[in-house]
Amino acid sequence: MKRLSFLLVFLCSFILFACAEKPSDTSQEIADLNEKIANLTQENEELKKKIDELTQQLAKPEIKNPDTFILANYGNLRTLDPCVAYDVTSSQRLWNIYEPLIFFDGSHTDKYKPLVAMEVPTLENGGISEDGRTYKFTIRKGIKFHEGQSLTPEDVVYTFKRNMIADPDGGPMWMLLEALTGEGSTRDKEGKIIPGIYEKIDKCVEAKGDQVIFHLPKPYPPFMGILAYSSSVILSKQWCIANGCWDGNIKNASKFNNPAPGHEPLLKIANGTNAYKMKSWEPNKEFVFERFDGYWGPQPKLKRAIVKYVKEWSTRKLMLQNGDADRVRVDNPYVPEVKAIKGLKFYEVPLLSVSAAFFCQKVNPTGNPNIGSGKLDGKGIPPDFFSDINVRKAFLHAFDRKTYAQDVFNNLVIMPTSPNVKGLPYHKDVPVYEFDVNKARDYMQKAWGGQAWEKGFKMIITHNTGNEMREAAAHMMAENIMSLNPKFQIEVRNVEWKDYLVQYRNFMFPIFIIGWGADYPDPHNFMYTFMHSRGVYGRYMAYQNDEVDKLCEAGIANVDPKEREKVYHRLQDLWYAEAIGNTIYQQIVVRAYRDWVHGFVPNAMLTDANEMLMDIHKQ
Amino acid sequence: MLPFIIRRFFFLIFVLFGVSVLIFGILMTFSPERRAAAYVTTPQQAKDIPKIIKQFGLDDPFYHQYFRWIKEVAKGNLGWSLVAARPVGEAFWRYFPVTLEMNLFAAPIVIFFGIWLGSVSGIHRDTWVDHSTRIFAIIGWSLPTFLFALILLMVFYGYFQAFSPGVLSDELTLFIIDNPDKFTPYTGMYTIDGILNGRLDIALDGLHHLVLPIITYVIVVVALNMRVMRSGIIEELSKDYVLTARAKGADNKTVNFKHARRNALLPVVTVAGQLVALSMEGSVSVEVVYNRHGIGWWLAESATQLDMPVLMCICLFMGVVFVITNLILDIMYAVIDPRIRLN
Repeated sequence: MKRLSFLLVFLCSFILFACAEKPSDTSQEIADLNEKIANLTQENEELKKKIDELTQQLAKPEIKNPDTFILANYGNLRTLDPCVAYDVTSSQRLWNIYEPLIFFDGSHTDKYKPLVAMEVPTLENGGISEDGRTYKFTIRKGIKFHEGQSLTPEDVVYTFKRNMIADPDGGPMWMLLEALTGEGSTRDKEGKIIPGIYEKIDKCVEAKGDQVIFHLPKPYPPFMGILAYSSSVILSKQWCIANGCWDGNIKNASKFNNPAPGHEPLLKIANGTNAYKMKSWEPNKEFVFERFDGYWGPQPKLKRAIVKYVKEWSTRKLMLQNGDADRVRVDNPYVPEVKAIKGLKFYEVPLLSVSAAFFCQKVNPTGNPNIGSGKLDGKGIPPDFFSDINVRKAFLHAFDRKTYAQDVFNNLVIMPTSPNVKGLPYHKDVPVYEFDVNKARDYMQKAWGGQAWEKGFKMIITHNTGNEMREAAAHMMAENIMSLNPKFQIEVRNVEWKDYLVQYRNFMFPIFIIGWGADYPDPHNFMYTFMHSRGVYGRYMAYQNDEVDKLCEAGIANVDPKEREKVYHRLQDLWYAEAIGNTIYQQIVVRAYRDWVHGFVPNAMLTDANEMLMDIHKQ
Repeated sequence: MLPFIIRRFFFLIFVLFGVSVLIFGILMTFSPERRAAAYVTTPQQAKDIPKIIKQFGLDDPFYHQYFRWIKEVAKGNLGWSLVAARPVGEAFWRYFPVTLEMNLFAAPIVIFFGIWLGSVSGIHRDTWVDHSTRIFAIIGWSLPTFLFALILLMVFYGYFQAFSPGVLSDELTLFIIDNPDKFTPYTGMYTIDGILNGRLDIALDGLHHLVLPIITYVIVVVALNMRVMRSGIIEELSKDYVLTARAKGADNKTVNFKHARRNALLPVVTVAGQLVALSMEGSVSVEVVYNRHGIGWWLAESATQLDMPVLMCICLFMGVVFVITNLILDIMYAVIDPRIRLN
């Protein structure tokens, strides 16, 4: 029994000893506990993050087509031939398939990045000669076309010559022809070939070693901007000739001049060097781009891109809302509607474009209802009604710029003071004719020796059908002028766009409201157009001012930035002093993307029809 | 019957000549500048309008231009479509299947649903059935197609995220683009080509994209057919032979469907025929809203842009469609009513 008791005591002692905690160090214990707590906190944080991610994924719709970008647009693509394409839709396709020598660098419109060229020529690096008449480009090596050909300087030379030789009516080649030959076309007004034009084309560009050299007849400051345009993208000589383009022999040039619409050889085929190639094109349905694996530069992240033609806004909006489109084209009136959609992000991009109301100083009186009786008898206006500066100033004072910007654009607009809009070189804000009905009244009372006020007048202001911004401007001018005197009667009418183009060119409108988008980012493209007596709009205003004409010509003939600045500043001042027209808006477009799209780089030269696919990705 | 058909086809030549002269004449009322403007879109391009007039001889006399066009048509060249960026002939065969596909499904529904609805309404005249169908018809007929199409799209695609616009889903479109050897577009109609290629998923997807366009089209168009049928039934039911049939002990089913409905069908056949013929030029609203680019969309775009070769082509096509439709209708009259003899 004793033994048993002893054994039990021993066992219990053993068990108790075994179970007893070791004498512990308190600080060590606390440290261990803290470590445990820290670990648990970290785990907790990680779990929270995971829960958040999962919740977000549940809340957000799934990224549809993660490797494909879908743009719903309504621009009609007419051709893929760079010498014919002269609209924003075609440029979008060409800029993504082909590459020019240089292109706009990021958001800059005055700085360029080299693409096919190794570097951007400047005066400093000797790429541009001191006299501004020679441009040298070293051509990048190792560039492959989509169909496998290697790009050589000879391809570059051929491209420029081929495009200028083709020079179709209504095409963009006037820009290069003007810069490189001094002529705006290969044909005269009668459609006959200008003698010696092909020889000029043949000599204006040459290849020497790995360089391509352009010889300009005189300095042409916007030349670099023209080289970035979609008509300057580089083609493969071998491929072009195989597909029926100019054969490379200058003696045969006239056979390839001015192809009829639909007969341009590169109309529906493409073979560029850019990061995307054309996969398929169903006219007015969709255009499919596919990543080009042999691209010389960094590979883009998206495998494909589809541009869909969707004309109806409601359909486009629903596609964006449902994530079936990554971006849709949004016209200004629909901006508030699209901003209410969740899961989108927006970019506001001012464009190098301007719309203006032009006063025609010599209206065509033959069968023209827009000027009523054609006399200042209260039932019409004389054809030269707007030749009186008092009338022009009265109309300018009758335009309420602040209300217009607020009501029509929700202030999402730039109200330009002259055609040299913000973003263009040598822009300056000149004074404007502020809204003041009293001043408008004073000027109308002075107009036509007081007869306009005494007899009154009747006229029609027109705008192109469907353009609500221009319609609002026409109504504002009409109503404010009519409020001055009950004898003033102005009717506002809409005219279908193509009719509008024809009629303003026939001097049918006393006031025509029309816009201009930059061909290249230089004031010459705007000031000559708007103010020169032979400019696209200056001519149809029948506006003639020798000083203005000389300044416009001096602006393009001069390479010295300081001299050009003086010229264009003076022209902008004259726009105000002469009350030539009313620049009513410089558009800011709103681009609406699904929030999973990243990388868009705004550029004022690229309209909302454009999308540089290389830049963007979905995440 | 054969001489009758041959004679009708012979007349087709004169019909087409008349239509072409008429349409060409109407288009010539536009100035050469206006017709040249079809080739330009921007003010930048507008400076070349005089050159375009010279290039295409748009200021030549009417008969010069007309015979130049006829000469090209005789060679099989219908001209160039600026809107489609393709030769007119090629563009036609791209757009026509889209319109035809919808009509293949919608036309039988319009005809048979209209006949059934009209019969039910006429037989149950002045009952709640009649009133309901008439209200349905009035609403359907009065609904602006564009608005109705938009409402359906907003509800079914916008809210329920079903029935997306277009003709085929992106996934399958890309499959077809990537695998031209695995899918042959025999007819240009995905529902039929899907079956012919053994790809039921493509056929069903095509059909899925047709649901809203068909509903829109049927609800808007069926009303006319239904009302004609209803009037016909009411008229026939009041005739003596119906009374005789009833006196002889014929039951309602026999009287209504065997006697009255057959006689009431003649005007319905005429209306249905014209509706089907008209539908061949597409429904602009349906095609625009549902993003189906068929003949209707093409015609509307071409009319606004004065794409002359397209307008001429579609007018001639419609001339052919109407001549053939009338021929079929005449044959059907003889089948439905044995008293009518084709000669």
